[in-house]
Amino acid sequence: MMFQIDFKSGKPVYLQLADQVRYAAASGALRPGDPLPSIRPLAEELRVNRNTVAKAYAELESQGVIETAPGKGCFLKENNSPFTKQVRQKLLITEIDEAVVMAHHLQVDRDRFLALVNERLDYFERKSGATKRDD
Amino acid sequence: MQTDIPIIELKNLTRRYGKVDAVNGLSLTVRPGRCYGMFGRNGAGKTTTIKCLLNLLRPTSGTARVFGLDPQKNEVAVKSRLTYVPDSVAFYPWMSVRDTLAYLASFRKHWNRDIETDLLQRFQLDPNQKADRLSRGQKTQLALIGAICPEPELLVLDEPTMGLDPIVRREFIETVIGAYQSGEPQPRTVFVSTHLISEFEGLIDEFTIIEQGRELLTMEADSARDRFRKIRARFVQPPGSFELPGALDVRRNGRELEILANGNSEQLLEKLRARQPEELRCESLSLEEIFVASGILKKANL
Repeated sequence: MMFQIDFKSGKPVYLQLADQVRYAAASGALRPGDPLPSIRPLAEELRVNRNTVAKAYAELESQGVIETAPGKGCFLKENNSPFTKQVRQKLLITEIDEAVVMAHHLQVDRDRFLALVNERLDYFERKSGATKRDD
Repeated sequence: MQTDIPIIELKNLTRRYGKVDAVNGLSLTVRPGRCYGMFGRNGAGKTTTIKCLLNLLRPTSGTARVFGLDPQKNEVAVKSRLTYVPDSVAFYPWMSVRDTLAYLASFRKHWNRDIETDLLQRFQLDPNQKADRLSRGQKTQLALIGAICPEPELLVLDEPTMGLDPIVRREFIETVIGAYQSGEPQPRTVFVSTHLISEFEGLIDEFTIIEQGRELLTMEADSARDRFRKIRARFVQPPGSFELPGALDVRRNGRELEILANGNSEQLLEKLRARQPEELRCESLSLEEIFVASGILKKANL
């Protein structure tokens, strides 16, 4: 997978990396069992500190998105979060709230917002469905 | 290994040349495993500071500690654990690349031959080439190989990429990230002074901006990018003047406003949205932009 760093986004670099892995997992660009790039070449390529990449992977591992096989590197895990349903929903709600606030400022009303959410859900479903069929 | 001892610790470091205070009461702490940037304009005191760490200069007052040791009293102990790439490198002109590296290795307890071979290949340096036939970029590459092969705990870089072409610069940074940082067992610390900041953006964990030998700002890179933001707003009509309390700087140009936010971008955005701008954008300042804006920061007494 290809990563992209934007220092002007205001988001810490390690979170940008972690988010991109999560996005790739959701969209099917990364599938369970797929290896993630090793820390050193990825850090070199992006010209970021190795600690930054290591921090991103540590975060993903603690959230159960990836797992480390000693001596082999990191791999995408089967999609089962270690958190309880309640915690998972809470995590999601903060993200949804942000989108809701954003929608308000951009004058996107409730119906349009919900339609967009459905559209995006369909989009991700199609995308990951398509990659599964490639097998 | 005691990891709680800072790799570098400066306390009120002052170094005077005659009547000029090149470094004037500088304090900073570099923790193990960090990549620490010292940013400043030419003449801000960066090289003088580094020379005090290496006992190439003695402080007029204040203290410099490296690995918790006094570089004046424990010069060998300090220098054997660090390497240094100065802003302009010079080698014995009659020595070949191979001889130069062998000569440098003779001063070191440890020298990683594999890294040496890798890097010579990567930089496409001919081991038989005489040092005086090397270009400026190649000399810096040779110095970098010499600094990385001993696998020191601390790598000190003084304006390392000045005068190099963009491709050599890029390779330089990649090498510091790849070859130098790859040693896992002990943390590898980088202390880099530069005013060419953008190349080091991704590498820097923490930085100090110095001006006229004094500290202007010390921050973690991520928190700095979070705190300093540039907001651009465009209105249908010239917005007239209204208060934007807490903005570090406001520039007006007809219907456009450019505002420098200092940890208060949300409040400022809220104020601007209330005036229904045609376009409203907010982005973080890069470390280089933060450095350039440091004049404004100074006026704001940060």
